[in-house]
Amino acid sequence: MRARALAVAAALVVAGCAGGEDGSATSLLVFGDPHELAAYRSLEAAYEQAHPGADLRLVEASDRKDLIARLSTSIAGGKPPDLFLMNYRFYGQFAAKDAIEPAGPMLTASKTLKADDFYPQALEAFQVRGEQMCMPQNISSLVVYYNKDLFKKYGVAEPRPGWSWDDMVATAIALTRDANGDVVKGVDTDQPGAAPTGPPPAEYGLGVSPELVRLAPFVWSNGGKLFDDDHSPARLALDEPAVEALQDFIDLRGLHGAVPTDQEVESQDDEARFAAGKLGMLMSSRRSTTTFRAVSGFDWDVAALPVHRTPATVLHSDAYCVTRGSSDKAAAWKFVEFALGPEGAKIMAGTGRTVPSNKAVAQSPAFLDPAAKPRSAQVFLDSIPSIRATPTISTWPEIEDVANGILENALYYNKPTAEVVRELDEQTRPLFERASK
Amino acid sequence: MGVGPWRVLVEGVGSRVWRRWGAVAVVAVFLPPLALLVSGSLHRPGLPPPTTPDLVPAPVSVEGYRLAAELGGLVRATVNSLLVCAVAVPLSVVVASMAGFAMARLPQRVAGWVAALSLVALMVPAVALLVPRFAVFRVAGLTDTLVPLVAPALIAGSPLFPLVYYLAFRAVPGELWEACAMEDLSPLRTWWRVGMPLVRPATAGTAALTFVLTWSNFLDPLVFLYDRDLFTLPLALRSLAALDAADFPVFLAGAVVATVPALVVFVVAQRELKGVSR
Repeated sequence: MRARALAVAAALVVAGCAGGEDGSATSLLVFGDPHELAAYRSLEAAYEQAHPGADLRLVEASDRKDLIARLSTSIAGGKPPDLFLMNYRFYGQFAAKDAIEPAGPMLTASKTLKADDFYPQALEAFQVRGEQMCMPQNISSLVVYYNKDLFKKYGVAEPRPGWSWDDMVATAIALTRDANGDVVKGVDTDQPGAAPTGPPPAEYGLGVSPELVRLAPFVWSNGGKLFDDDHSPARLALDEPAVEALQDFIDLRGLHGAVPTDQEVESQDDEARFAAGKLGMLMSSRRSTTTFRAVSGFDWDVAALPVHRTPATVLHSDAYCVTRGSSDKAAAWKFVEFALGPEGAKIMAGTGRTVPSNKAVAQSPAFLDPAAKPRSAQVFLDSIPSIRATPTISTWPEIEDVANGILENALYYNKPTAEVVRELDEQTRPLFERASK
Repeated sequence: MGVGPWRVLVEGVGSRVWRRWGAVAVVAVFLPPLALLVSGSLHRPGLPPPTTPDLVPAPVSVEGYRLAAELGGLVRATVNSLLVCAVAVPLSVVVASMAGFAMARLPQRVAGWVAALSLVALMVPAVALLVPRFAVFRVAGLTDTLVPLVAPALIAGSPLFPLVYYLAFRAVPGELWEACAMEDLSPLRTWWRVGMPLVRPATAGTAALTFVLTWSNFLDPLVFLYDRDLFTLPLALRSLAALDAADFPVFLAGAVVATVPALVVFVVAQRELKGVSR
């Protein structure tokens, strides 16, 4: 009897939920925290209002890993979403699997979007063999966020445009202070033979994650190369100037003690430390802006990255990709046209999280709002000519994972650069080999 | 062989003392994280997280719970999760116990083979079946419904659970089943009227485990659900985890909501287990 009741209940659940299955809506797979997803919902609402009859359905993932799991399974299972939003560093595997419908022909045929509307640096990051695969939504880059109040308190000069790496190091040292406000060198007491020379720092001068994309701009700025061949890389092979930049990067912790130790980062990450007013400078992309806008305790701004020889920074960009398996590519493209056109780009710029890829919107008050922090938002646009992108390789996410682990050890445990360079090459070479050509 | 004084000590006074200290040790390990969880959830969101845990929030704020409901759609997600569990848990207990009962009545050799096959099935990683399952549910038009989350209950959720029942039913003396057959009880009635009341600890354990597995299932909803109105609690919790560090009370509030039902189920199941062993 009870078993029958259960069967009835199960049938009711089936009947109750089967209504969601219809092929007419255009599905868009995105990821983000709840605030970011709310922005996509307002974009969805604006699109449906502007195009009566259009039906966009957001498929929400909370982070990139979740999005990739959803996307891979649905592509393999034969029912991908019509559209997805993906960073150029991570879309290579889907381009290699032929899961993306190239945007190039649709862009050429478009009446509302032209290639000239967009920053070429962002467009190029989504090209495979000269073909435009996806349409970039934003063009962010690595910049230096700094706590203006700490600079003022200790009488340290704020970053000037074109400041050098050495200026940045001197600034970071001058901002690393103990609880009494005296300059102090942060010592990692877990290191063999390390003995603290004074009280531990209460504030650090700089926060930077030991990651390949954080190191890359300084390698480039020093005139160095990360790969054996920039166009079709087969190995991570740091040349002489690249090793110099790597040594300077490692010295931030080992020699100068101006960045938090491993344990300190574990207990409070750099972004949270900056938000707590305990970090003078932080290297991050535009993403951090919304977090810091919520901070009321101090004033902050952004500055361009310091320069070794020539200005350089690294691209952070996401793009809308139409899937090969989409059942209605025209409808999907219609949404792309809206989202990247003036109206949609303004809505996303309003979140503060992105630098619009649409040139006109990026140069409008929608992005350069003088009333909103950071006041020097122009820094993001001024950096664009010196932006460079990491290569499109299907195994790039794995290469980054492995390289970041090695760089983490290098920074926090002061590894000799020769060893770091050798490990980077040895451990990532199989991943380069596995990449589809 | 006589019973030595040491043995008496251990089994008498000693065992009670040991048991008490054992319980204290277990509580000492598991209680602090729970206490931190609850106290963290009562902090005011929007402030930089403290570097050292402070147990007593000042001021106490339930803002985290309000925001968790608002940002993460926690209420709807809880209802969805409860709905899935309400169907999947009883269903998989019924299926598992029927299968285990049937196995116990099979000839020993055949039952051995079935048990061995179950163990093999147990070793197949769930991830390996994800894409085929997606394809099956897609063809059936059931993706983006709660059905794929409930469906595994039709095969007892995991091969482990029929095995648990198999062992429990095998421990019952065979004469009892013969007596039932003599009384002309159908196998179904024997299972329900005679068998099930004898294996209540197995039912309590299986139900609790099935509940926890279903309740915390993250991968299936991630792959099968698109519509946020159908999201279950683990998905909602995951989205709260993506919030800024300053919003940690919001995430912890969600975690409290996700933890409480599991605790309740374990308390109930434990009473069931104790009630039988007394």
